[in-house]
Amino acid sequence: MSIDWRRYRPEPFWDELITAKGRARTGAGNLCRVLSQLSDEELLEHRTAAELAIRSMGITFTVYTGKGSGSIDREWPFDLIPRLIMKREWDAVSEGLKQRVRALNMFIDDVYHDQKILQDEVLPREYIEKSKDFRAECVGISPPHGVWSHICGSDLVRDASGQMYVLEDNLRVPSGVSYMLENREVMKRVFPELFEEYFIHPVDDYPDQLSECLRSLSHLKSPTIAVLTPGIYNSAYFEHAYLANAMSAQLVQGSDLVVGRDDCVYMRTIEGLVRVDVIYRRIDDVFMDPEVFNADSMLGVAGLMRAWRAGKVALANAPGCGVADDKVIYTYVPDIIRYYLNEEPLLPNVPSYRCVEKEQRDYVLDNLDKLVVKPANESGGYGMLIGPNAAKKERDKFARQILANPRNYMAQPMLLLSTAPTLVDMHAEPRHLDLRPFILSGSSTFVTTGGLTRVALRKGSTVVNSSQGGGSKDTWVVDLE
Amino acid sequence: MSGLTLSSTAERIYWLGRYLERSETMARLVIVHANLLIDMPKRLPLGWRPLVEITGSASEFAELYDEMNEKTVCRFLINDARSAGSLLNSLSWVRENARTVRGFMPLRAFEYFNELYLLGREKLTAPLSRSRRLQGLTEVVEHIQRIDGFMSANMLHDAHWNFLRIGQFIERADMTTRTIDVGTGTFWEGAIDLEPFADVQWRSVLRSLFALQSYNTTVGEPISQEPVIDFLLHDSRLPRSVDYGLMSVRNNLRSLPRHERPLRAINRIRRSVAQTDVRKLSAADLNLFLDECQIQISELHDEIRKTYFDFKPRRRPSKQRQKKPQKQPQKQPQKQSKPQAAAARRS
Repeated sequence: MSIDWRRYRPEPFWDELITAKGRARTGAGNLCRVLSQLSDEELLEHRTAAELAIRSMGITFTVYTGKGSGSIDREWPFDLIPRLIMKREWDAVSEGLKQRVRALNMFIDDVYHDQKILQDEVLPREYIEKSKDFRAECVGISPPHGVWSHICGSDLVRDASGQMYVLEDNLRVPSGVSYMLENREVMKRVFPELFEEYFIHPVDDYPDQLSECLRSLSHLKSPTIAVLTPGIYNSAYFEHAYLANAMSAQLVQGSDLVVGRDDCVYMRTIEGLVRVDVIYRRIDDVFMDPEVFNADSMLGVAGLMRAWRAGKVALANAPGCGVADDKVIYTYVPDIIRYYLNEEPLLPNVPSYRCVEKEQRDYVLDNLDKLVVKPANESGGYGMLIGPNAAKKERDKFARQILANPRNYMAQPMLLLSTAPTLVDMHAEPRHLDLRPFILSGSSTFVTTGGLTRVALRKGSTVVNSSQGGGSKDTWVVDLE
Repeated sequence: MSGLTLSSTAERIYWLGRYLERSETMARLVIVHANLLIDMPKRLPLGWRPLVEITGSASEFAELYDEMNEKTVCRFLINDARSAGSLLNSLSWVRENARTVRGFMPLRAFEYFNELYLLGREKLTAPLSRSRRLQGLTEVVEHIQRIDGFMSANMLHDAHWNFLRIGQFIERADMTTRTIDVGTGTFWEGAIDLEPFADVQWRSVLRSLFALQSYNTTVGEPISQEPVIDFLLHDSRLPRSVDYGLMSVRNNLRSLPRHERPLRAINRIRRSVAQTDVRKLSAADLNLFLDECQIQISELHDEIRKTYFDFKPRRRPSKQRQKKPQKQPQKQPQKQSKPQAAAARRS
């Protein structure tokens, strides 16, 4: 016997498949039954087949090792046991995400125009003006449909009670969607029999939806679309190439593009210069245009901002949208939703403390051993303090940093992240996970069915980033009706 | 993709082709030359000099080494990281270019290029004994030939393919003229009386171009300078003849847009090669002619570069007679700063 659910103990965490009493959750019964019927040999066979599929499909991510030794392509770590979400729950989450992204886009548009929300003092003016992601160069620009963040990847987590929260909104250049698509492909190859047990909503329309979204940013019927990548050393290069390929778009680097005297963007091809209408850029604002931002950038295109401001090219995501992706601004998102939409938020934020406000800051400083402290502008899990796991010395260091620059920090209680059964040496153990759905906004809005489930493969760890020992699972949105 | 080929992609693939061909020819030249020296008088001074001369890098060599002997020349040509044209550096360029354009090649192709680089690094790092050197170089040549066959059989014959072939065949035409250069023995002139060794030398030239067998079965003359050069320049059936290389470049160019200027450059070279009767040239004129061929090939490269890769108007290269043109290195591709590329990630 290999997977024995009676020996599976998720407590004290909420488990996505198994209840505290060791029973399968609604809808998970068939999956658990099929899995427990597999012998060790069969499990091993499936796992080997998955590894082979990943290698032959070339699903990799790049780890930059630094120090001149370059970078290595690692095969994508994948767990065989899928994560299930009931369709009914997903529909509600999906509405919540649309609401959230709609409000956030209205917020960004307001920040770069009339700043009504600041005038009405819903949010202190200095938070915006001192934000290092506020781009004065974007003031007064009106991108198509009033949308700034066309591709958003929000991170969702569940706590011990089973409540789903938004942990953060990645409004700038979120990655991971190609792995969501590839996970499903691998799963279909390796476990076709599981798909007979369920009606699982497909995910493979994402490239079409993305292409549709990008097209809607141009008034042309068939605009030329390019994906702008920093190049092969970037950790998400696989995804850039994958999406360009799936959309039949050009994969370009900054050096492939030129901005003409007419402020139009062109790419150099063997046929000569060809105009580009929409750019899905996968490089940060600061690297995008050496004329405006980081003058040393070798990744960008001189004049790109000029072209964008003149309306000659659409950029997705728009420059400057990171202003809403700041973790201190995050704490205001429920207010932002109420302010612009006059609606109650459908999806809650994780309760958060702002270090700028004295009362909350004092609480944070007194309870550092219980809290997670996050800097306002980092991503990928860097620069955080996980209080309960940190040494006193490190907590003291953070206390000093918070006092020196309170605007740069916020804190959240240590969430007991939910778990799901994950294959460890031929049996299942609970491992923590999160979920990153992708929300597309153009002339219309689209939410992926499920998203990318990232799982912390190390026992007890809650760090799901692939660069730090995270893996992933296929995510099934399942219809029982 | 949508059928458009980016200039940068075309340029990478072109250089992939050139470095692949260059690596193979260099490896074979070293093998054959070492073999030739066994048959030559032992007191032959500067026996290894021709191999440095044909790459046009004598001054670069002089900066790195005090002495010119088997050991230093082989290091320079095979595994010295400081030498831009060393075989291991060429193989690393092959890999870097292949990495960037892997999306346009059959799925397994990049793995083959990667294995080629790893093979070179494993088998050809210093110190190299003679037998290890022979073994390593032979394996590299064979691996490249397998890649060549795999690509012909499996790669989509689109514009990317055309650029790969153009790179390979320009390099081939150029390397063949340089190999003939070695055969004429000008670099040894005056050192000894080479007359008694002429056929040994030309036999080794033919061998290094895989052309000995073809020569014996098709040319009805004993091996000597004139018929061999004639064969290597003009015989359009021989895959490593200059004419075959130029025709292949032409045929591939014809499938590409905007090919007028490069085609004109090709026609110029072909005309001048066809019109030259090597049997009537003095030794000095022959060397001038070969240098002229190399200059014209480098002008053809310039036309291709200006047409497809680099649109900015540039000053014309000076028309002055240069000394033997150095092997063209790939223009440092826009230095991709690794830290920047890595830092440009977001969550």
